[in-house]
Amino acid sequence: MRILLSWVREFVDLPESPRDIAHALTMAGLTVESVAEEQGETIFEMDITTNRPDAMNHLGVAREISAVYGRPVRRPEIRFHEDARPAASAASIDIADPDLCARYTGRVALQVQVASSPDWMRRRLELCGVRSINNVADITNYVLLEAGHPTHAFDLDTIHGDTQHGPRIIVRRAHPGERLLTLDGVERTLQPHHLTIADADRAVALAGIMGGGETEISLRTRNVLIESAWFDPASIRRTARQHGMHTEASHRFERGADIEAAPWSNDRIAGLLEQLAGATILNGIIDAYPTPRARAPIRLRASEVRRHLGVDISPSEVERILRALGFEVQGEQVIPPTARLDVEREIDVIEEIARIWGYDRFPLTLPAWSGHVEPPENARPRERLRATALALGYDEAITYSFLSAAEAERFGSWPAVAVRNPLSELHAVMRNSAVPGLLRAMEWNLNRGVSDARLFEIGRLYRQDGDGFAEPPVLALAATGSDFYGLKADVLQLLEVFATGPIRLDEAVPASYYRAGHSATLAAGDGPVARLGEIDPALAAERKLRQPVFLAELCLDRLYELPLREPRYRPLPRVPAVDRDFSLLLPEGTRFAQIAEAVGEREYLVRIEPVEIFRGGQVPPGKYSLLLRAVWQRDDVSLTDEQVNEYAHSLMETLREKLGAEQRA
Amino acid sequence: MASPLPNELGPDPAAVEKQYADLGALFDRELAAAPDVKALRDRWLGRKNGLLTFSNDHWLKPAPRELKPLVGKLQNALKVRVEQAFEEQARVAAGAVRAEPGLDLTLPGPPRHIGARHPVLIVQEEIQDIFRSMGYSIAEGPEIESDYYNFEALNFPDNHPARDAMDTIFITDRMVLRTHTSPNQIRIMESHRPPLRYLVPGKVYRNDAPDASHSPMFHQIEGFAVDEHITFADLKGTLDYFLKQLFGAAIVTRFRPSFFPFTEPSAEVDISCIFCQGSGCRVCKQSGFIEILGCGMIDPAVYSYVGYDPERYSGFAFGMGMDRVAMLRYDINDIQLLFQGDVRFLRQFR
Repeated sequence: MRILLSWVREFVDLPESPRDIAHALTMAGLTVESVAEEQGETIFEMDITTNRPDAMNHLGVAREISAVYGRPVRRPEIRFHEDARPAASAASIDIADPDLCARYTGRVALQVQVASSPDWMRRRLELCGVRSINNVADITNYVLLEAGHPTHAFDLDTIHGDTQHGPRIIVRRAHPGERLLTLDGVERTLQPHHLTIADADRAVALAGIMGGGETEISLRTRNVLIESAWFDPASIRRTARQHGMHTEASHRFERGADIEAAPWSNDRIAGLLEQLAGATILNGIIDAYPTPRARAPIRLRASEVRRHLGVDISPSEVERILRALGFEVQGEQVIPPTARLDVEREIDVIEEIARIWGYDRFPLTLPAWSGHVEPPENARPRERLRATALALGYDEAITYSFLSAAEAERFGSWPAVAVRNPLSELHAVMRNSAVPGLLRAMEWNLNRGVSDARLFEIGRLYRQDGDGFAEPPVLALAATGSDFYGLKADVLQLLEVFATGPIRLDEAVPASYYRAGHSATLAAGDGPVARLGEIDPALAAERKLRQPVFLAELCLDRLYELPLREPRYRPLPRVPAVDRDFSLLLPEGTRFAQIAEAVGEREYLVRIEPVEIFRGGQVPPGKYSLLLRAVWQRDDVSLTDEQVNEYAHSLMETLREKLGAEQRA
Repeated sequence: MASPLPNELGPDPAAVEKQYADLGALFDRELAAAPDVKALRDRWLGRKNGLLTFSNDHWLKPAPRELKPLVGKLQNALKVRVEQAFEEQARVAAGAVRAEPGLDLTLPGPPRHIGARHPVLIVQEEIQDIFRSMGYSIAEGPEIESDYYNFEALNFPDNHPARDAMDTIFITDRMVLRTHTSPNQIRIMESHRPPLRYLVPGKVYRNDAPDASHSPMFHQIEGFAVDEHITFADLKGTLDYFLKQLFGAAIVTRFRPSFFPFTEPSAEVDISCIFCQGSGCRVCKQSGFIEILGCGMIDPAVYSYVGYDPERYSGFAFGMGMDRVAMLRYDINDIQLLFQGDVRFLRQFR
């Protein structure tokens, strides 16, 4: 909100520079975001926290800075003549629902000359961002900006009464379906939980939020009823939200207004109406205040001040601070001012002391410690996976937790959790797959000429789980410029973080967005732990991906149940291994798994590995050529050439018999 | 190999010495010119046909007794010299790569790229390391959170204006995407007794349309400590230490009163601008300070939700946006860059 320094200076002496004042306010908790000069005025743009409605006006800011500097505050002087006729003879006020309206004051001003406001008032309003309307409306707005209490002016002659009472104000809940045309020109349908200001026949205002069009001040208005009341904050907030309204009045009432400011503000307005609109003010204020409220004293213990703040602030200093803020202090009992609804408990008073004493004056200390440190859940496997993925050359990505409904449908394995108030279609549901996010990133990179992007993301997915929700962890990889085998090796390297036992390969396509025959599921123990492969070419074409994209998804919730692989030392062989290469011709369609199975376990055979695969050229059709390496090792003594030749011969014979392999010349 | 050597030993010591001197000279010439050290080694030290084997067999073995000590000495000296020469050669070969002509040392090696850590998670790791050293445990909590933990138990009543500031994304009436990491204060206090020191990093959500400085998803880190005798001065000391570790010992911290429903007293913490050292610039909007985190003493009302005695325990809590720290630290001007997966961006953090 905008605060004019010259206006604040009416209420407190401030010889300091605007910068110093802004700093002092900020350090006391009323943040001055910027200091500007406009039309010769210094204007503070202030950000006042929701707990301080009392400071959302010039007098409130003055009160605060006066406490900081220890200077007195001057309230605006109120002076006017009261006519002999009592106000109560011109209007009556009844509060039918005192639970929602604790106090309602009215003053009556007659022979009001509605005109434009004087220049000084218009100027202040406009510098504060309020449009000038006419002197009557402007005066209520001026007093709002000055001291913070929202008020309303009715055209008294439009308020219906009855023969007994004359014009009547009844503060009551709306009748079901009751209609009210508010000042913004909207016809509103009301319900009993909406509080209205009504006359004898109908609702004339939405209490504490906005007046009605039919009782508005106009150029024809002669007589005015001024309302200054106190409404229940929660009720105002609920009603304003339901009607999609947010006004200067509702903003303050819903944060809590000062019940004692109601009559004061009414008097202040009466004085200005007399001064600026030639009004005659009738005698007395009509004050409907069924149950006067008193603020309960709060016990403030010096020991608690010490315990929470960690410094000794002398009792006289505490008392000085609290009195400067308008508190009453009697020994351990303190009574906060009625404007400070945020101060209810001892800790609230302690905060006031700390704030004005100065946060910057507290020493820097470190607390003693006697507890222990708990290891975070799953942090070890996650950090090992992360380190492995980084070492394999995958960059770490974070993508949004939101997906479009269509993406969730296509990529997810379960119905996605819907967002009730999404920002857009792209944020409609919580992700049930990490793939769409990484796929978008791959598309983004390919479209920018990056042909070798490799990304991984460790994050959460979201799903309904009974009455609640589950957030299973996932690790996903995406790569271009790779191939299936490279991806498979990377995934197996990642799985090696865990003691998975043997890993099985299921060649069925794992999901519709994978390419059949170029994708697989890896399983360990009793279930799948990862799926991987090239994306479906139809999907790639649809996304206009210029290169094949490879994906892998690791089910971390399953993997986290496994122990981490713990290395165990085995004695090193004392003699080197011996290998032999076989240049094989195999019938097309012979798979490496068949070769491994045919070879099986053999004495001193450590492993077999494919070295190179050829097709075409000298290789006859229907065959392919495989350079296969077999490695033998005996731990204790060297194998002789003769022995290895014998093993190799036997191995070749097996391949010939079982798979029809031939040895190339 | 045709031997260039005399087949027989000279008749007297002078002849013998000349014979060995010639042989030594021959070795020096051949070594200097040798295209192939291995072949030269075979030629001189070969067990069957090596030249030194030849001299051993033809000169030393048949030498007359009076010449034998001299021949033995010369033969042995030459053998040691030749062996040492070859050892020296082997050492050179095994040592630094020989700067052969034709090797362009300015050519780059084949790239072996490791992946880059995400900048937000680099920041997270650093913060965790700092607090771990002060005895803080690290925990996580759910992102789909109940109204109770996200608001109510943190002293945000229903229909309270403080909820407006949160721009909540709802899943159901009572379930939201957590708007801050603070619900974990309640979750952890419910299941643990003081003394407590915890740090909770994670994703949080607000209903903000994405632009250069807003994102509906971002990352916070929450820290809190509860014990007997924890004071506001401890809060200041802890955060001052932390921020100096994170941003450098030269920064100055500033604590300003503020308001959060779940802390009392509350504060915003600013650090002196890391770009202009407090003299005023574009980043700090000429103020010399950058707002960096919110904190406060845990409100006693919060303890009532977890059954702690507020007369016995006190504590502090703080929360900070990690994306913002990463953006400040690395001078990133658009928060969207963090979530696009653009490798040209990510690879800058190798």
